[in-house]
Amino acid sequence: MSWFGFLEAHAPLLVILFPLCGGLLCPFLSKIHGTWGKRVVMVCLFLSVVLSIWQLVLVHEQGVLHYWLGNWRPPYGIELAIDGVNGLVVALVSVISWLTALYSSPFEVVSKGSKGWVRTAGYYSILAFLSVGLLGMASAGDAFNLYVFMEITALSGYGLIAIGEEKGPIAAFRYLLTGTIGASMYLLGVGFLYAATGTLNMTDLSIRLETLGDSPLVILAAACLVVGFGIKMALFPLHGWQPAAHSYAHPAADPMIAGIMIKVPAYGMLRFFFYIFYENSPVMELFFQAIGIMGALGILFGSLKALRYSAYNKILAYSSIGQVGYIAMGFAIGNIYGLMGAVLHILSHAFMKTGLFYTSGALKYKYGIHEITSFGQIYKDMPTTATAMVVCALSMVGLPPFAGFFSKWYLAMGAIENGQYLYVAILILSSLLSAIYFFRIFEELFMGKRIEERKKDGPLPWQMLLPLGAVAAAVIGLGLGNSSLVSELLKPTLLEVFLV
Amino acid sequence: MNGFMEMANVALERIEFFLMDRGIYMLTFILFAVGIYGMVVCGNYMKKLMCMNVMQVSIIFFFLTFGQKEGGTLPVTIAQLFSAEDYINPLPHALMLTAIVVSLGITGVGLALLMKIKELYGTIEEENITGKGGGL
Repeated sequence: MSWFGFLEAHAPLLVILFPLCGGLLCPFLSKIHGTWGKRVVMVCLFLSVVLSIWQLVLVHEQGVLHYWLGNWRPPYGIELAIDGVNGLVVALVSVISWLTALYSSPFEVVSKGSKGWVRTAGYYSILAFLSVGLLGMASAGDAFNLYVFMEITALSGYGLIAIGEEKGPIAAFRYLLTGTIGASMYLLGVGFLYAATGTLNMTDLSIRLETLGDSPLVILAAACLVVGFGIKMALFPLHGWQPAAHSYAHPAADPMIAGIMIKVPAYGMLRFFFYIFYENSPVMELFFQAIGIMGALGILFGSLKALRYSAYNKILAYSSIGQVGYIAMGFAIGNIYGLMGAVLHILSHAFMKTGLFYTSGALKYKYGIHEITSFGQIYKDMPTTATAMVVCALSMVGLPPFAGFFSKWYLAMGAIENGQYLYVAILILSSLLSAIYFFRIFEELFMGKRIEERKKDGPLPWQMLLPLGAVAAAVIGLGLGNSSLVSELLKPTLLEVFLV
Repeated sequence: MNGFMEMANVALERIEFFLMDRGIYMLTFILFAVGIYGMVVCGNYMKKLMCMNVMQVSIIFFFLTFGQKEGGTLPVTIAQLFSAEDYINPLPHALMLTAIVVSLGITGVGLALLMKIKELYGTIEEENITGKGGGL
């Protein structure tokens, strides 16, 4: 078999394996030479970006890819299943991981003394493992595999949060406790499903659950899964760990933690409830009600809470709770538009929030500021950062040419089609609230009092400018190109899910 | 004396029946609840971590319990036994082997974090660090 064919045949696995190899090699290479370790991680993440995009093209041409590990047929073997939706999520995760690895390099602690390489090597290894976990969670076709990848994600996340600011270890420890409850609830849910059906493969599960209907075991399993994924995606009453974890994480890794670590569990929830549970079953009715209430309250809570703070990271963290609420609301609407809105919002919010945290990190890197009151006219010193911030923030508010508008548009369309006008009202109200807290930032950014003693020492390093530009471009591109994305990939895949 | 022994025997039989039927699951869930309760109530981070372990162990018990069946034997082919009913499904045990490894990893990371917290704050009591105790 040629190299090309080999890569094509094994793409779903190699996407995950490359960062894993990079993360494992990184400490050894760092020991030999200071920069080899981080270079190998970057190369591996880049390979995974290329493969994930190639895989997305393959999915578009051939339909769902089923990869059987070791060629063991499911339901006995482990399967990776890539369709139009999680192909997109995998591509999103690999792109943001690579950009974040690039973005991290100026942040490095200068390696003074003999132990300097340990920090660098540790940081890049953990970053690579975080991306392994997220990629695995997105592409797993087996419920228990998803658990293992969830824990890989969580463990690397704890590490990256702990090496952050001074309060990092406490935030990480509290996240460890809460996150473990979440993962245990997920495992319990999988246990109930396994006890009811005797299988762990997701396709097989969906076939066998059809005959079970509204057995209490299945309802209990669904409740456990909602709590498990809810904790991991920081859904409203279960969000306790999130603000501290997202504000105190390492400023270089924060974009990735805030941007995609809460989006991939949201995709997991979509996968479980819309691919596995039987449509129109009593389980789904309960799910729609519960998730709708949680989402709607979360949107209001997050937006109102974000108004109270003046620390940039805290505002962004609380706004994430609201934005996750939109995704949950898309699930609760439950028709094709609601789901398309939810998936689009997973993508667009990942780029927007990553972009905003890139700007936060850049401000910290350059001037060490994190209060919005000290932003006074900083656009004169850091034009690219300010532009990226404006693009991402306007997209968060939901102004038309940007990505955020279109996901909200689909959500509103779905809600109107179902006659759920309350959701439309909440959507509009929370957009206004987010306009308030982002315009507060803009006010400081453009009209605040200029602090003169900022020294001018040239622009940011290119490793930071490139991710900032790329994310801002992605927000605009996703907005302008959303119709072809929806008609080519999302709609066919999601319609298929509905007809099953 | 005889009457008492008989009553004790009946009681024991009932307990055994209860445990074989659903009761063992009840006990597992009590363990799970104790774990979560401890994590919420305890003010000491080390105790919280230990309660987390109790909770994880309860889930391992749960999987092992429903993986068990009466009259089943080791899942290794034995010449005289042909039907699947004679064997225990090894999968829940295999899954829990993985879950034990995962929980070991989490405990390790948790302990490392606690050492770091102790180094930074000089204490692992929640009230001394954040000013309020309890809660997650």
